[in-house]
Amino acid sequence: MGWQIALYILLIVALFVLGIRLLRRYEKKHNKRFQVSRKLEPYLFIMPVLILLLLAFGYPLINSVVMSLQNYKLTQPGNSYFNNFGNFKTLFADRDIGLIIRNSLIYVVASVGMQFLLGMTLALALRRKFKGRGVYQAIVFLPWAFSAFVVGLMFRWSFNGEYGVVNDLLMKLGIITEKIAWLGTPGLSLLVVILAMIWMGVPFFAIMYLAALQSIPEDVYEAADIDGCGAVRRYFAITLPYIKPTVIMTLLLRTIWVFNSFDLIVVITGGGPANHSQTLPSYMYTRAFSGYDFGLASALGVILMVALGLYAVFFLKVTKYNKAGDF
Amino acid sequence: MTDRMKRNLSTSGRVLLLAAYLLLVILPIYWMMATSLKPHTEIIDAQNLTYFPQAITGENYDQLFSMYNYGSMLKNSVIISGSTAIVITLLSILGGYAFARYEFRGKGSMLMFFLLTQMIPGILVIIPLYVIFANAGLINKRFSLFIYYLVVNLPFCVITMRSFFERIPYTLEEAAFVDGCTRWQGLFKIILPIMFPGIVAVFVFAFIGSWNELIAGTIFISTSDMWTVPVGLKSLIGKYDVKWGVLMAGGVLALLPTAIMFAVMQRFVVEGLTAGAVKG
Repeated sequence: MGWQIALYILLIVALFVLGIRLLRRYEKKHNKRFQVSRKLEPYLFIMPVLILLLLAFGYPLINSVVMSLQNYKLTQPGNSYFNNFGNFKTLFADRDIGLIIRNSLIYVVASVGMQFLLGMTLALALRRKFKGRGVYQAIVFLPWAFSAFVVGLMFRWSFNGEYGVVNDLLMKLGIITEKIAWLGTPGLSLLVVILAMIWMGVPFFAIMYLAALQSIPEDVYEAADIDGCGAVRRYFAITLPYIKPTVIMTLLLRTIWVFNSFDLIVVITGGGPANHSQTLPSYMYTRAFSGYDFGLASALGVILMVALGLYAVFFLKVTKYNKAGDF
Repeated sequence: MTDRMKRNLSTSGRVLLLAAYLLLVILPIYWMMATSLKPHTEIIDAQNLTYFPQAITGENYDQLFSMYNYGSMLKNSVIISGSTAIVITLLSILGGYAFARYEFRGKGSMLMFFLLTQMIPGILVIIPLYVIFANAGLINKRFSLFIYYLVVNLPFCVITMRSFFERIPYTLEEAAFVDGCTRWQGLFKIILPIMFPGIVAVFVFAFIGSWNELIAGTIFISTSDMWTVPVGLKSLIGKYDVKWGVLMAGGVLALLPTAIMFAVMQRFVVEGLTAGAVKG
């Protein structure tokens, strides 16, 4: 079934390509140009992408705004009605919502902060060539391509209270005397999620910063050496200013990405114990597909959208994306 | 302290740091592989945890295929990720070319729209899409995941492709036009061959993005014959009696294709990441 429609889309693209080609050939033969079609060309190229995005991204988004204002439960089909912001009222009355917002903030700040620090350190250590650097990078950057799902499995298993290797190691080293129920203890369960997130996300920062570092001209450093500049000062006076655009952009975008992704939470803790490792998006997922209350979940989604929108405005201001026209 | 001592100190510090980090990366992966090779009795012997498998066995891998139908999960994942990646690559070439080579009205706002789609949590789209797909009878069809993976990965891929196009000087095409090439000949005969790294990078992004996705899979797919790899393995965690050996074997096999892809084409992927620079 999926195949047929995929083929169908391919066919449309092929027809489209063929059509333009024929048109151009015709133009050449009769030695005239269709001025209008020339102007339309870029739109034609983008059209397939745009239509897909509007249909399967834009339209659902609008739908979810409408749903957020409705009593919309999948368990009561055909019985959806506007309920006067009832979903939002329910949300604000939810006594776990404070905890979940706090979790989200801790999760994002701790993960992104550590990813940034480790990624930057790694990039600095990798800047100068050494024997075997290529192989080293190939291994160390590997987690970038890993599925959050499998990373979640690894960490869930390693931090297993009964059979986990982490407890065993810590006991052998004499750091703890009794096994810790990592995933069943409030606070610790979120910590495990954060550790997994850091492990997964360092390569991205390292890759980005390494590329930025390598674009700094070497003679700037030489000049600094002649002037007797120390390593620390060199870092803050030359390196950091040079890669500042990359740093700002990766930090801000990564923040959004980490905030939005919750596969790790679903796999490692399922939000538990008692919502102590739940973040806003994972809570939305839980509410939507355990109780099938789509109205309530959509209301949560609209709040998220507003928050992210504000963040995006801030982001665009800081990076001056509008003026640069590039990102 | 002399300069030489200083340099030696900083070098050994660097080596230590790199070695420590390598260990941190390898240990979880090693533990997963080691567990997948242990017999069940060794895994659940909590009193003496073995750091190296005592009796290496393939029974977990066997069970994965014989009892849990891993073959069917792999098939579904390959079909969905493969078709998604091919279509995305084609559409990104078209879109990226337009963004790189034309000035037109609405270009800025379209790019902005693309950027914004990257900031919206997927779950916000999944919920209404579920209703739409349910009405259209597409739930539990591979096509539902195909569409979703298409739209979530497209914006980033188009933007990445655009930066690859922009790196190629326009004069190259102009020269071809002067020689009597049409725009299409210019695109296919001159530009695309040089664009090979970009095309590979975009394909890899799209494939990995779909292959690794779990959440939408758990929602749009309901019967076990349609499960993708992550969805199928996730259902195994929920079982009363979790077989960690089997799960770890499944994890190892799930990582293999993307890990190999990344290792082989790392140069292109890294280039793409820094060019597109929007995604994590």
